[in-house]
Amino acid sequence: MDLVLTTFLKMAFMLAVILGLVPVLIWAERKGSAYIQDRTGPNRAGIAGIRLAGLIHPIADVLKLLFKEDVRPAGVHRVMYALAPFLVFFIALLTYAVIPFGDYLEVGGRRIPLVVADLDVGILYVLAIASLGTYGIVMGGWASNNKYTFLGAVRSTSQMISYEISMGLALMGLLLVSESLRLTDVVAGQGQLLWGFLPRWGVVIQPLGAILFMTAAFAETNRNPFDLPEGESELVSGYHLEYSSMKFALFFMAEYTNLVVASALIATLYFGGWNIPWLPRAVIEARAGGLLSLLLAAHVAICALAAALFLRRASRERGRFGDGRDREPGLMAGVSILLGLAGLAALALRPWEIGPAGASLLATVLQVGAFVGKVVFFCWFFIWVRWTLPRFRYDQLMHLGWKVMLPLALANLVVTAVVVALV
Amino acid sequence: MVKLTIDGRELEFAAGTSLFEACRVARGEALPHFCYHPDLSVAGVCRLCQVEVEGMPKLTIACNTSVREGMVVHTRSERVRRAAQQILEMHLINHPVDCPICDQAGECGLQDQYMNYGLYESEVSISDKVNKAKVQVIGPRVVLDKERCVLCSRCVRFCDEVTRTGELGIFNRGDRAEIGVAPGRQLDNAYSLNTVDICPVGALTSLDFRFKKRVWLLRSTPSICHGCATGCNVRVDHEAGTVYRLKPRRNPAVNGSWMCDEGRDTYRELHAASRLSEPLLRRDGELRAATWPEAWAALAGAAGRELPPGAAVVSPRQSLEEIALFAHLAAALGVPAAAIGGGPREADRGEGDDLLRSADLAPNRAALGWLGLQEPAGADLAARVRAAKGAVLVYGADPAADAPGWREAVAGRTVIHLGTHRNATAEAADIVIPLSAWAERDGLFVNRQGRVQASRRAIARPGLAQEDWRFLADWLAAAGAAEVPASLPELRRWVAGRVTALAGVDLAVLPPEGLVPDAVAAGSGGES
Amino acid sequence: MKGKVHGYGGKMTLGERLYLGEIFRGLGITIRHVIRNLLHTGDMPTVQYPEERRAYSPRFRGRHRLMKREDGTPRCVACMMCSTACPADCIHIVAEEHPDPAIEKAPASFEIDLLRCVYCGLCEEACPCDAIRMDTGIYDMAADSRAKFYVDKEFLLNNTTDGTR
Ligand code: SF4
Ligand code: SF4
Ligand code: SF4
Ligand code: SF4
Ligand code: FES
Repeated sequence: MDLVLTTFLKMAFMLAVILGLVPVLIWAERKGSAYIQDRTGPNRAGIAGIRLAGLIHPIADVLKLLFKEDVRPAGVHRVMYALAPFLVFFIALLTYAVIPFGDYLEVGGRRIPLVVADLDVGILYVLAIASLGTYGIVMGGWASNNKYTFLGAVRSTSQMISYEISMGLALMGLLLVSESLRLTDVVAGQGQLLWGFLPRWGVVIQPLGAILFMTAAFAETNRNPFDLPEGESELVSGYHLEYSSMKFALFFMAEYTNLVVASALIATLYFGGWNIPWLPRAVIEARAGGLLSLLLAAHVAICALAAALFLRRASRERGRFGDGRDREPGLMAGVSILLGLAGLAALALRPWEIGPAGASLLATVLQVGAFVGKVVFFCWFFIWVRWTLPRFRYDQLMHLGWKVMLPLALANLVVTAVVVALV
Repeated sequence: MVKLTIDGRELEFAAGTSLFEACRVARGEALPHFCYHPDLSVAGVCRLCQVEVEGMPKLTIACNTSVREGMVVHTRSERVRRAAQQILEMHLINHPVDCPICDQAGECGLQDQYMNYGLYESEVSISDKVNKAKVQVIGPRVVLDKERCVLCSRCVRFCDEVTRTGELGIFNRGDRAEIGVAPGRQLDNAYSLNTVDICPVGALTSLDFRFKKRVWLLRSTPSICHGCATGCNVRVDHEAGTVYRLKPRRNPAVNGSWMCDEGRDTYRELHAASRLSEPLLRRDGELRAATWPEAWAALAGAAGRELPPGAAVVSPRQSLEEIALFAHLAAALGVPAAAIGGGPREADRGEGDDLLRSADLAPNRAALGWLGLQEPAGADLAARVRAAKGAVLVYGADPAADAPGWREAVAGRTVIHLGTHRNATAEAADIVIPLSAWAERDGLFVNRQGRVQASRRAIARPGLAQEDWRFLADWLAAAGAAEVPASLPELRRWVAGRVTALAGVDLAVLPPEGLVPDAVAAGSGGES
Repeated sequence: MKGKVHGYGGKMTLGERLYLGEIFRGLGITIRHVIRNLLHTGDMPTVQYPEERRAYSPRFRGRHRLMKREDGTPRCVACMMCSTACPADCIHIVAEEHPDPAIEKAPASFEIDLLRCVYCGLCEEACPCDAIRMDTGIYDMAADSRAKFYVDKEFLLNNTTDGTR
């Protein structure tokens, strides 16, 4: 019973994080691309003038997509056409089951491992599920009865096949080092230090493997520079061209969900997962009081800074728009002040006298926070790359996959095997 | 024959040829001119056509000079050019140059001439031009703008020499000279719009065409007028499926450069509200729109029930090919030969005269005779139709209006009307088939001289209307006939083979002035 | 722009062919833009339309208007020069007789299909009467049906932002 309950809670947490990240990512994509291109980006949609720098736009988008007409073109394969977006989205979510997002949570003396399903073939599961995602795309592209969508689907498949191999080979190098297929083991192994000062992260001991894996991950998620299945300029948006309304929204969300999966995998396999470098759990628990006080103090300081900035803006831009938008800086300053006051109140509770149960909880929270932080960074990295690099031409894509990455992955595997055998 | 040199080319002309025409041949284009007109007397007033003749001290006007043996003429020398420029400059001194609102713009002699001989940097410009009356309605069809007139006197000569009515004259002298109608009169002869055609500028404009369309937007199709048996050659000016005006086309053998005013109105029937644009079938006592498949089913039904025997009537307004094919179709459907004919022969309703207009308003009556079809007058037609039992086919004619006793004769029988307008016969018919009006199809017409002339398709048919010969051929095929023409040329060959008058004539290559078959020319002696 | 620009088919150095270094250089460039824009939000060239508008040159061709005579009737004489010149074939004029013989011709109707118009200004240039102008400066047109972009004489006569000129 307990197992079921905790599993459900963990799943709920994972889902909340992922689905919560999707709108944020969409926002980051828009705002980030705007800032990269010296634009302002979304800043219009607002609720009573509160715009949160464009964060309200995803809400407006969702509402729009919800109420849009669901157009189904003539000649589609009805079942597959309807099924495809669900499949894509569902498969995107499946991978999370095996990704550990923290060490353990200590509740009433029992330690609950923070992973939904700690499979001993975790990595194989990841590979298996990741390649399933293409099925949804192929179904959608084929069932839409449109040559553009079909071309998009075909591209997606061949791209998947080409990069899946390098990805698997790159992972095998890592497996040789970590000596386990279980993701929790892989993560735990990265908590140690190499030669006493370097975190023993995957990227440190398998640098080539990390690069190959990340490149393949870009390809598998159809993100620029590998977004040929969408190819707006030649395929007028590719496999989801014929989808509208919520079906399109599912494709759209699946893309970002995949982004989060890929980021989580990269973080887990090569960047230490939930490990905080040089700050193992034992240290956190020993110094819990001091750490917490420090964090709270930092929080108060940041809030104060934010409040000051917002107040300055409020006084400078008084009456700039002549509507609800004028209230925004003042309101934000108020919220910052309130948050700061909350931090102060927490400081008044003498956080430096925290007990052992609290210390363990703090360690767990920090570790989960580290994991989420890494995931968010890699999500941003995906976005950042998309707005920096141009799209590959199709022959370049194939060339890179088969003639560059595959030999490199093989070489990496052989070298790793030899080194592991010798050491 | 006289030999002379024009612009370095040695050419031969018949004695008495005007130098103007000789220059037209030599140059490939006419000399600049306003007052010269091949079908009017020579006035020599505009002085634009001056050429240099060696041995003459001054330039001379070509229109009033005849060719002489050994003449050496220059039409493109600098002196000639300069003269034309100066004459134009003079014409423009008091000209209003209101081209934007002038209906002539685009086909204006002054504009065309100026493009070639303009000075552009004007040497004479005065701010107080002589003002004269504008927008004067001088007759039921013509508007005069005295300011724009270049006093070429073509219009005056037309009224004096062609119609001999003499309504117009030039009044006053010098820069006050102006065209006007004689006091108490109007320009109301039956050919008044020809003055508008020959006016080289926008001084005379047509009340009907005025402001309807800018002329440069119009497309022209050569055709013939369907207003009467004369068959004047015309140009159908149309744009985007609408005909805007008819203009005479020069054919010295038929109409010279002219046509009558009534004939110009015939374009209106093409766009009348009563045009048929879809098949109509009588259902529950009322004519209702139907589709072609429904119409074909109705035709087959009527043919099965009431043909043979039946009766068939065709109008002399249809083309030669159509009349022949229709008669053939009627025979194929089982109509007895005695019950196939034209008609109803109307008393000549036109106001004939000795110039162009025929009293006979049917453009193709001669063709009926060529095809051996009789044309009974109204009451006789009704009697003949009454005698023949079964369905009645009416093609193009309107016997319900023109033949007394028609309604009684066809009472209780199926009437099939093939036509273009919702006339009285169509209203009383059971099956109405929409076909093409005269400007919407090609066809051959035989005028009162026995001259075969081609009428050409200018615009598209309205709605579901069909091309006549194609419909007739389709019906012929549906009736199981062996010989069905597959194209218009094929149909023409077939017609030529059946008409004795056309023996040995190739209808595919008619000369521009039309063709009077030798048999006809010898037999009739020709009335023209 | 610093750095080498390669023509098509140009030789790349080994470093460039390894991609990674170049990719990180590119990432550096883009992140610099992000940081600069984050720190100086006010400096962005974006125009906050519709609160702010770019100033257009007085020669800018905006929506058309028809000029009036002193008595308020259209200056246009329905000569069709504009509709003849129009490459988009979007001016539709029906002429009528003007009661004053000195004017003679006037437009009974004058319609422009603004959706077909390509704002080339040829109509303006063709007009012998300076009756049609495109100097309203209006460029942001919106309507909820195509029919509303098919504007008539009344609209064009009263469609002006600067009174009479
Ligand atoms: S007559 Fe010719 S030149 Fe004179 S206003 Fe008319 S078009 Fe222009
Ligand atoms: S009205 Fe026309 S035809 Fe008559 S004199 Fe004047 S220009 Fe010539
Ligand atoms: S601007 Fe150009 S396209 Fe538009 S109405 Fe004028 S001529 Fe036509
Ligand atoms: S060109 Fe000028 S005067 Fe002529 S129709 Fe157009 S707007 Fe009117
Ligand atoms: S044409 Fe010869 S003088 Fe007018």
